[in-house]
Amino acid sequence: MAAADSPSTALRRRDLCSRGIRLAGKMRADVVDLLDAYVEQQGLDASASVAAVEGVPLAAVERWDEQTGTQRLLENLAAYRAFRALLAQMLEEQREQLGEADAGLGRALAAVLLQVSAFAYHLEELLRLESRGIPGEEEDDGPPPPPRLSLFEQKLRGLGVLRELAQWAVRSVRDLRQLTKPSPATAAAPGLAESP
Amino acid sequence: DGPIQYERVGADVTMKCGSMDWDAAVTWTVNGTDINESHLNGSYLILRNVNLSQSGQYACYEGSSWHLKYQTYLRVGTPPKEPVLMCRSNNYPKGFYCSWHLPTPTYIPNTFNISVIHGTKDMVCEKDAVPKNRCHIRYLQLFSTVKYKVTLTVTNALGKNYTALTFDEFAIVKPDPPESVVAKPVPNNPRRLEVSWQNPSSWPDPESFPLKFFLRYRPLILDQWQHVELSDGTSHTITDAYAGKEYIIQVAAKDNDIGTWSDWSVAVHATPWTEEPKHLTTEAQITETTSASTSSFMAPPTTKICDKGAVVGSGAVAVCWTAGLVVAAYSVLFI
Repeated sequence: MAAADSPSTALRRRDLCSRGIRLAGKMRADVVDLLDAYVEQQGLDASASVAAVEGVPLAAVERWDEQTGTQRLLENLAAYRAFRALLAQMLEEQREQLGEADAGLGRALAAVLLQVSAFAYHLEELLRLESRGIPGEEEDDGPPPPPRLSLFEQKLRGLGVLRELAQWAVRSVRDLRQLTKPSPATAAAPGLAESP
Repeated sequence: DGPIQYERVGADVTMKCGSMDWDAAVTWTVNGTDINESHLNGSYLILRNVNLSQSGQYACYEGSSWHLKYQTYLRVGTPPKEPVLMCRSNNYPKGFYCSWHLPTPTYIPNTFNISVIHGTKDMVCEKDAVPKNRCHIRYLQLFSTVKYKVTLTVTNALGKNYTALTFDEFAIVKPDPPESVVAKPVPNNPRRLEVSWQNPSSWPDPESFPLKFFLRYRPLILDQWQHVELSDGTSHTITDAYAGKEYIIQVAAKDNDIGTWSDWSVAVHATPWTEEPKHLTTEAQITETTSASTSSFMAPPTTKICDKGAVVGSGAVAVCWTAGLVVAAYSVLFI
């Protein structure tokens, strides 16, 4: 990282990144299991193509290797915050639809939601380390909530959410690994280029 | 040389001698050799149920003047069967390549056309010079859930065929096998072998996209493999090798997070370290040693071939149990 980086900051970053990598790895494994259970219990076709759903952050990115450290952290944070809201919504819908009938799926969803929240917090810690202000969470920003979806549409959206989350979990591992790499001497140091 | 005429194996072919009348006197040749008149119907050449060996240069000459009236190059072949297509990313995250071949030859020239679509976006698969039936694509996006569809069409003069593959970015990731696998004995350790290897050179960024490895090993004389999975590092010490036995060792690699295992590396052979057995260099000495005579086996004073605790017996006939096993094994071989 940049010359302005103190050894303790570098150590803390490395530590946060390693733990983040483990968190993301575990999260991915759980999301993949949840995806299998979800597909089965919702009676969906696992190979169904789901069009990009509004509000679901896409993991797909161009020129990924050119991103700065700060960009990576900010994009990850925005994504996991969005997933936190989406999963909470799915959990709510799940409870409405099935009550206690599908407690297993509900529990698995809640567990993943917890990990997503934990990971979002982890990312905030990393951003603090970069002396970056953490973007506030915009509660009521953006378009008004879409009209209530039919049950089938809810299920398809759920599939889309979990699939993108699984991709994000892999991307996050890669992003955090990039953060632990020493930055090239000539390139802008990820995260610490602009000092006040 | 004239035009090329393509015909299917098993077809009946009729060749006319240019503008000559049916009843004109002509001579047909194939590759310069006269064709028997039994194949002629008037001035037409009739080839029934053609086979591959009938490919060649056919020419027709006017009877008396020997003027060349017509020639053609006949190529007998088949329309293409469904091609075999394979796509793989051995250089993730840079891109992937697709390669193809026909399950059976057509014996005539074929043209391959490949198209790659990512969602609704057309992508260009750049053909490799070598090998010919291969093209590569650079990833424009990473971590996409949208699938890729690759369609391969093969066309020749007698027909066409095609095949298609649909896959997502992660599914086709398969590194090349590890390189430079080396296995060495460990001095003074009869049950150890030190194995080391390198990341495949085609894997562009092992630091950001680390590989994990799978090692398998067995003594040549046994069929069952031992397996070890290693999440990092490019070396491993085998500690449970059978003393004195030659081992075969292979390593495979996989991206830590996605995709499938590589093929096994080239196999290497190694035998754990053994004490230089001066006393066991001739058959006579071995047989003598195993018959518990007083001319007993004694380790040379400066070297050990067994652990201290493994010595049984005492005095001049002391024999380590591990050495005894080795000796017993040797004696079994020589019986």
